[in-house]
Amino acid sequence: MDQITTSLVPGARASAKSAVAGAGNESAGSVTKRLSNELMTLMMSSSPGISAFPKSDANLFEWAGTIEGPADTYYAGMTFKISIHFPPNYPYVAPVIKFESPCFHPNVDIASGAICLDILQDKWSAVYSVQTILISLQSLLGEPNNLSPLNADASNVWDSPAAFKAQLVRYYRPLTDEHSA
Amino acid sequence: MASDALQKQVATKWQDSFNRLNRGYPGISGLMGFSEAWAIAADFLYPRELGDPPKDFNTQKVRSAFDVLIQCRMLPMLLESFVEDMRRRQHLITHDVMEFMAEYEASGDPDAIGRLILRLADWYMAWAPGGELGHTLSSAYIVNFQTHIFSILPPAFAGGFKRLIAATLALSTEPADAAGPSSVQDSKLWTSFELLGLADRYESLIASVCYEHIENHVLETCQGKWDEPMLSTLREWMADKVVPWMLLPYGRGAKTTEEARTMLQGVGSRFDFHVCKTLCDLRTKEIFDIIIDYPESSPALYDLKECLQRVDQRPQLVQALRKLNKRRLLHPGADTKDILTQYVSIIRCLRIIDPPGVLLFKVADPIRRYLRERPDTIRSIVASLVVDAESGDSLVDENEPIQPLQGPQVDDYMDPNWEPEPIDAGPEFRTNKPSDVISTLVSIYDSKDLFIKELQVLLAQRLLAIKDGNYEKERRNIEILKIRFGEAPLQVCEVMLKDMTDSRRIDQHVQSQTTSIMHPTIISRHFWPQLQSSKINMPGQLKDIQESYAREYTTFKPDKKLRWLSHLGSIHLDIELQDRTVTADVPPLEAAFIELFSEKDQWTVDELIARVGPVDRTTALKALLAWVDLGVLKEEEDSSFRLLEQADISGALRPSGSRVIMEDEPAVVSVQQQQAEQMKVFWKFIEGMLTNLGSLPLDRIQTMLKFAPGYDRTVDQLAAFMEAARREGLVTVREGMWKLNR
Repeated sequence: MDQITTSLVPGARASAKSAVAGAGNESAGSVTKRLSNELMTLMMSSSPGISAFPKSDANLFEWAGTIEGPADTYYAGMTFKISIHFPPNYPYVAPVIKFESPCFHPNVDIASGAICLDILQDKWSAVYSVQTILISLQSLLGEPNNLSPLNADASNVWDSPAAFKAQLVRYYRPLTDEHSA
Repeated sequence: MASDALQKQVATKWQDSFNRLNRGYPGISGLMGFSEAWAIAADFLYPRELGDPPKDFNTQKVRSAFDVLIQCRMLPMLLESFVEDMRRRQHLITHDVMEFMAEYEASGDPDAIGRLILRLADWYMAWAPGGELGHTLSSAYIVNFQTHIFSILPPAFAGGFKRLIAATLALSTEPADAAGPSSVQDSKLWTSFELLGLADRYESLIASVCYEHIENHVLETCQGKWDEPMLSTLREWMADKVVPWMLLPYGRGAKTTEEARTMLQGVGSRFDFHVCKTLCDLRTKEIFDIIIDYPESSPALYDLKECLQRVDQRPQLVQALRKLNKRRLLHPGADTKDILTQYVSIIRCLRIIDPPGVLLFKVADPIRRYLRERPDTIRSIVASLVVDAESGDSLVDENEPIQPLQGPQVDDYMDPNWEPEPIDAGPEFRTNKPSDVISTLVSIYDSKDLFIKELQVLLAQRLLAIKDGNYEKERRNIEILKIRFGEAPLQVCEVMLKDMTDSRRIDQHVQSQTTSIMHPTIISRHFWPQLQSSKINMPGQLKDIQESYAREYTTFKPDKKLRWLSHLGSIHLDIELQDRTVTADVPPLEAAFIELFSEKDQWTVDELIARVGPVDRTTALKALLAWVDLGVLKEEEDSSFRLLEQADISGALRPSGSRVIMEDEPAVVSVQQQQAEQMKVFWKFIEGMLTNLGSLPLDRIQTMLKFAPGYDRTVDQLAAFMEAARREGLVTVREGMWKLNR
């Protein structure tokens, strides 16, 4: 009797494990599907100045993005690179987005590139998409939330255009091809 | 001073010789007898001039003289003196030979050679010592005589001899041309050859004459003659004409027919092989035209098949046909339809020559590859699939049974009749069992989907073109295609056909509620290929008709709504003018324009376009000029048009000078255009990845494009596309890295 149970147990455990793994794959599959759909929508929509694409064909969860500064703001004519990391349980959890190129902005940490944007934290909802995030980020450049600054310096000089512009230009690095590959 | 011993030795020798010659006769009477015998024998053997009167020899006496010599063992001495005599008299023969050769070289007539040979034979006979004198003597004579002849025959003799043989052969095969040289007809000629050893010495020359003769005959009789089997005729010719001649050089000394047959067997089969080879070479050279002439040329193909079994020239045939195809078929000047027709003929012809299909496989490969590159191949195949009663030239043989498409088959090793692949099959050779032509054509492409798509486009065009409501022909076509492609892929076509019949039914119902002069065709957008989209607005009463019909439709089918494709279809108009009524069947755009003229009499083109909607200027002008031609409108100087309420007599017949020639666009978007649409989507993706990832190599772009739904292009296609984008200045490339041009 003992022999039978011992011989059965590992098998049972193994099957349980594989069942779990299977469920994981399934959810990963639906996330992949959602991400492909978002990519398709983003590509076909012609929103000016925003764009994003998976970094490699093997991993759909890491994207690189580009945001052009909107006209009539301090950031006009500048282009910023961002990175987007989708968690495995996306879209129930917000993606992690960081500025890759230094961005002097009240809500952006100049060193780490971390962004303080409500919809990326507590206000996240599954109905948002990469496209909506990118549009929000683009408008954030022109209209910062000076009440919760990550970059206090930027927040302080926001209202004095000349000073702000000087700081911005000091930190800004125009895009080159080196960031690629 | 000779020693005693020497003296003694000489004395013994002398005694021996004396005894041998004297043969123990008393005194020297033996010696005398010997001397007499020697004289008779030497005189008998002496090589005489041909013209000299033959001396009267007593056979008995000569024989006894030789007997004496044999007894004395002096025959070798006699032989030596005979050879020496021959050598001294050789100049007689040399003189004759030179004379005849000079004659031949002057006239080029093989008759001279023939006479020379007969003459030499005479010499031979005259000098021959006679067989009864023993083998040693005659064989020594033959060797010496032949050596001498061969040494004096000039180089020109070989050529002359060849011509002589050819003349005998010609005489034998074409007796009608009997006016040959006299010596050629002499039956002694061949015996003379044999006598003089020429037959053995020039054996290869004789054979080559025969080969040449066969070649000429084959070329003469068979070139361009494909409509009857030639091989059997050639073989008959060989048996009737050449074999009797062959008996002369090759069947010498045969006493019975049976013996002759065995003697001729080897050489006969060599010649038969040569017949096959020559015919095979000829047909290989002609193969392309033979295929064009198929099926009239099928006897030639059966000949070729038989020849190939005898002569192993399959690789040459493949090479020749591939070369010809490349030169004559696979070039931009050839029509796709012609290429397809020829390809189908090639399939049929090579199946005759080589049923297992190895040759076909080798020949077809470049054609198939070429066809794949042509943009309109699928369309041509599909057009031929849909059998059209009017245009009879279909690729498909009507007698061929309609059968489902066959995919590549796997060998069935349980099959008791299984045969291994032919020996010259390449490694990638697939045994495709004799399948029908359509299967072979469809298999040019890897998937059937492309065909189905093109089929839908074609069907849409044809359905929309039908005006009398008779869809039976299309229904029949679809049923046939269902057998070929299976039910599932043709479901869409089924829906399209159903739409057409449904439209009529719905129209009948709508008409029963409110009579309308409009009979629309209602199609299910998702099942039809993209139609040319154009958003023209119908003005005036035309719009009212549309709207009232749409209302009625919505009451009939509350869950559905009509979306008009106003630019398709045709409108029958009666235009009532002040002095006349013009009746015309016109496209919707023309109707829309003329409807606007009921509002005011004069419009500029721009005004008209503004009212009707997005139409390009050429199309608009074309529509207006159609009315000008009908005498309803008149073109004014300031690019405006005026309605002619009263017929303009003077200008009515004036052909409009500014007539725009434009081909009617088909209503359905072709597969090519659809692909262009798709490529736009892919371009967005490429743009997206290059924006965010910087510059990328081509293969990276290719793999990244798998994110784009439905991407199925090859790297080569992508490369061509990127190259096109580069020419338009959208991207740049440096060291294989593609980059957006910003």
